Amino acid sequence: MTEVLTAEEAKKDAAYLTALKELIYQLADDDFLISFRGSEWLGLAPHIEEDVAFSSITQNTMGHAFMFYQLLEDLGEGEIDMLAHERHPSVRRNGIYLEKKNGEGNYLEEPYYDWALTVVRNFLYETFKKVKLEAITKSSYKPLANIAGKVLMEQPYHLAHWKIWMKQLLNSTEEARERIEARLNEAWEEFGDVLEYGTQATEIEHFGLIIGEDELKERWINEVSKTIENLPSTPIGKKYGSGREGEHTEDLDQALNTLSEVYMSDKEAIW
Amino acid sequence: MYNYLEYGSSGDSRGVVEDQEKYDQFMARIEAGEKIEADDWMPEDYRQGLIKLISMHGISEIMGALPEKEWTPKAPTLKRKLGIMAKVQDEMGHGQLLLRVAEDLMKPYGKDRGDIIEDMLSGDLKFHNVFHMPTKTWADAGMVGWLVDGAAIISQTNMLDASYGPYQRALQRICQEEVFHAQHGEAIIMALAEGTDYQREILQESLNRWWPSLLMFFGPASAETTGSSKQDIMIKYKIRKSSNEELRQAFLDKYLPRVFSLDLTVPDETVHYDEEKEQWVYQQPDWNEFKQIIKNKGPRSKERLRLREIAYENNRWVRQALAADKVGS
Amino acid sequence: MGTSQESNFYQEYEVFSKKSVKAPIQHQFSLLAPNEEMALSMAVENFMRREDVLDVWVVKSSNVRRMTSEERSNWTKRLDNKDYRRTKGYGYLRQKWKEKEQGMLDEKEILSWKEVKKK
Repeated sequence: MTEVLTAEEAKKDAAYLTALKELIYQLADDDFLISFRGSEWLGLAPHIEEDVAFSSITQNTMGHAFMFYQLLEDLGEGEIDMLAHERHPSVRRNGIYLEKKNGEGNYLEEPYYDWALTVVRNFLYETFKKVKLEAITKSSYKPLANIAGKVLMEQPYHLAHWKIWMKQLLNSTEEARERIEARLNEAWEEFGDVLEYGTQATEIEHFGLIIGEDELKERWINEVSKTIENLPSTPIGKKYGSGREGEHTEDLDQALNTLSEVYMSDKEAIW
Repeated sequence: MYNYLEYGSSGDSRGVVEDQEKYDQFMARIEAGEKIEADDWMPEDYRQGLIKLISMHGISEIMGALPEKEWTPKAPTLKRKLGIMAKVQDEMGHGQLLLRVAEDLMKPYGKDRGDIIEDMLSGDLKFHNVFHMPTKTWADAGMVGWLVDGAAIISQTNMLDASYGPYQRALQRICQEEVFHAQHGEAIIMALAEGTDYQREILQESLNRWWPSLLMFFGPASAETTGSSKQDIMIKYKIRKSSNEELRQAFLDKYLPRVFSLDLTVPDETVHYDEEKEQWVYQQPDWNEFKQIIKNKGPRSKERLRLREIAYENNRWVRQALAADKVGS
Repeated sequence: MGTSQESNFYQEYEVFSKKSVKAPIQHQFSLLAPNEEMALSMAVENFMRREDVLDVWVVKSSNVRRMTSEERSNWTKRLDNKDYRRTKGYGYLRQKWKEKEQGMLDEKEILSWKEVKKK
């Protein structure tokens, strides 16, 4: 596959551009939504020291979203904050599992947030992010491959952090193990679309933007099973559809309404 | 920074000198500028005073994270989201530093972090008046970062030479980060002040609401006002240098000219600088209201404590799980 | 103690870090964590968010034998009569060598010997 070195070059091939943008929207929206959920946790973690550490991971992840939105801006998709704050749910490309609320209630009132969900989700996601970005370092689109390489510099800490939580909770009390396992089973029903590329899957692979879906999925399972001995035996499902194709739940509406409340309050304003 | 409050049941051990010789040595050490460490001998009222001061300071940081946190997921741009997250994270981090210092002082009483959190939830341990107030608009996030933190910087830097070593070292770290906080707050405020009519409107409205809380921040000028003041003993033991009123004047000195330079006003027409007395003249806030606020009867006291309580109780299983002996090393 | 079932969660660890290859390891602060893996995982972000860090140690505070208050005040004072341990005690050599038209091998000179002539 020939390398594409700049945004200008990418724009010359309409089919390539469409596939490329599709992939980057997925990367950007995934990081943005999971880091938004992280920002809701701030101040509410089980332990003060963990709260501080978790927030750094959240900030790093939102920083990664920023870089991916920047790539889209360079490709002519519009300004970064517009991309993050204004896009309609139907064009959002994040996996549905990543928009899922942290638990019952909301961060302003009665936040019955579930640490087990957070540990399981972040562990599965960071593992996924590692294998996906590693594959992208060989992408035909150089600016994207470069960003993937940069993100991979600080992402190992994230994964290591959630691995420790996973392992320790699985090996602690009966209650903790049950909570984690219940969330793992739930994840198995919902994580499917995260592992996919949506309607442009064939082109994304064809243009050498990243390895194919099946291979990615295999690498992910392989990586996850290094930490978790007994993975759920059921196939990985897409209970709520595919976020990669613009299908989403009410949880995304809640997220978008919250994260864009101030932004939308005065669209003329510079904040 | 919050040493004008009294709470709990420490009793008044002032005047009861346990060991005159040790006491004299102790006073000689702090007079000479030496630092006292956690395991050094110290008068009981010094230890008690520090526990109250520092645990309240720590809890105020933890509770203080909440008002700004309300606007964190809502911050209007990605850069603002990142900035305010880092800022609120620092507040939690300051809480961590301070609680560690308080916990070490509490060791002789067999108390730990859990006790501090539980004392806060039960209302035995108070937190600062400003953190009982609502944050109604994004401008409040800026106001907390700019003026509330500005006030905090004034009182914290005043203790940078504190005689208690662990507190002094924690404050050193905290004040270094406050420089970032100050500029973070200014950046939000500046954008609003130079922004659209709507932005200026929410900014002025926010300042109007926060003004009395900002004056209250430093506590009453003297013990008579609210019936209690710890400021004298903290000055005697070289924890802080200045009185409540001196700190408030320093705050007005530094910040009022900046407020006016942005064409903002404060909701007190009598405010002016008296050149002869070299001090700011202002109308006293309602100190009775202040007393109610710090008794957890402020506008948002219950809700904020409720958030803490849920976070604490709801995550108990996590702490129990990892407290089990078989985990880790 | 707080709820006893949870108190074990709050173990105290001292955190040390190293800023650069040439820097010595330095004490940062202490934190509470249930075990050393967790302590290490939280240490950097709690205390070194804005500075470079190349290495981190965590040590359970109870494993540090530190001086007691008494030991600090009794063991750390010395008489100022130990010039013989320092170059200060041999300062007169400078003059002697000068008379013999030789330079003094002082700290600056000796530490400049990192490189010698290649043969």
